[in-house]
Amino acid sequence: MRKVIYIGLVIALCWFAEDCARAAELHVPQNAVAGQPLSIGTSGSGTLYLIGPGQVIKRDFKSGGAVEIKGEELRSAGRWIAAVSGSSKESQVFWVKPGKPGRLNFLARPSRVPVARPNVISGVTFIFDQYQNLILDPTPVNFNLSVGGAGSSKSVTSREGVAWINSASAPKAGAAQFVASVDATTVTRVVQQVAADPCERSFHMHVAGHAGNRLIVETDPIRDCSGNPVPDGTIVTFIQTDKSGKSTVDSRIKKGTARAELPASDNATITMAAGVVLGNELHVGGK
Amino acid sequence: MKLARLLILTLGALLAISGAVPLLKRILADTKPSVQLEVKNAQPREVEDVTQNAIVRDYTLAWQAIGTSLANNTLQPLNDNFAGFALDKLTQRVKDQKQNGLTTRIVDHGHKVEAIFYSPDGAAIELKDTASIETQVLDGGTVIHSDQAQIQYYAVMTGAEDRWKVRVLESTAK
Repeated sequence: MRKVIYIGLVIALCWFAEDCARAAELHVPQNAVAGQPLSIGTSGSGTLYLIGPGQVIKRDFKSGGAVEIKGEELRSAGRWIAAVSGSSKESQVFWVKPGKPGRLNFLARPSRVPVARPNVISGVTFIFDQYQNLILDPTPVNFNLSVGGAGSSKSVTSREGVAWINSASAPKAGAAQFVASVDATTVTRVVQQVAADPCERSFHMHVAGHAGNRLIVETDPIRDCSGNPVPDGTIVTFIQTDKSGKSTVDSRIKKGTARAELPASDNATITMAAGVVLGNELHVGGK
Repeated sequence: MKLARLLILTLGALLAISGAVPLLKRILADTKPSVQLEVKNAQPREVEDVTQNAIVRDYTLAWQAIGTSLANNTLQPLNDNFAGFALDKLTQRVKDQKQNGLTTRIVDHGHKVEAIFYSPDGAAIELKDTASIETQVLDGGTVIHSDQAQIQYYAVMTGAEDRWKVRVLESTAK
């Protein structure tokens, strides 16, 4: 009887030892980087699952050795799970870091802005590697805002994946190139800088003539205080006041000036305005 | 005799309730994770009250969608709550899981979320989330991995047509 028990125990021990020998062991990497090859040490045989934030990789393996994962296969940064199923089960967690900067998400606001205004343009950049992983390590981002070759540049170091600036608009009207760059990765947005409101100092009108019983008034070329022509289409309101009441004409700027035909009057006052800016006052007729 | 029956019935009812309450709590925890949002360190813009409420609501829905999608390998909950890179990645994860016969069960024990960046135009917000999560990965019906951990996530949400959607969701080692 003792002999039988002894043989049984030996068989059980051998079985256990064989099982242990075949059991899969996992050696996960400590410094994995997205886009770079990865080697995971195993022993025994079974199936290795790598479960990442944005993908799952499956590999069958036999007789131990390392399971090699190609760089282009390992795309997601973050928390990964390596799990083995087969002769035995084991799992471990490991981390994959993002690769080098390769993509920028650049939000530039607004798309149209008046010239010479402080802190009106904002640029926000999120930095990613080529596999769309947010890079959380501090990274210098260069912002450049220029119109016709002249402009300003500023470097901002990202914090937790994001870098941002507030910038003034340039004194010159035109399509400003707003560029964010990290190393060789560059993204450009266009911010249309338009003339601001007409400048009160030069917002003048004069009588341009008569057409029958109509009086024609016309403005001088309308510019903002930086000398940029106010865009065509901007509305200028002319108001004529006389004893019979008030006449109002809304006229659009065309080729730099605005023009209006008003009823002829023997004694009238004419004023004009564009937005919140008032022009000169004209007195026509009277003694 | 009647009193004894009543006593047994009451004890039975209490026993049933004591079993049902944790079960109910677990189910509720699965369906709607708790999200606590702190906004005092948000820069450069202050987060408005209305935005705070919307972020809590929509970030909660996003995590609920992750739980549902990874457990059932379905994409619709993701499409409703994610956009951009986050949607691309989670969609790929679900497709890969389906292809390999895996599912992931997430028991969400809550999120402590801090708003760290709110864009000057109010279009994008970045959140730092310390999530307490229990994860089980199943191959068919067999659990191949199980763990419970506090995981730090960074999320970027942007305003969409009727809600805030998660555009970036990335876990990072603390």
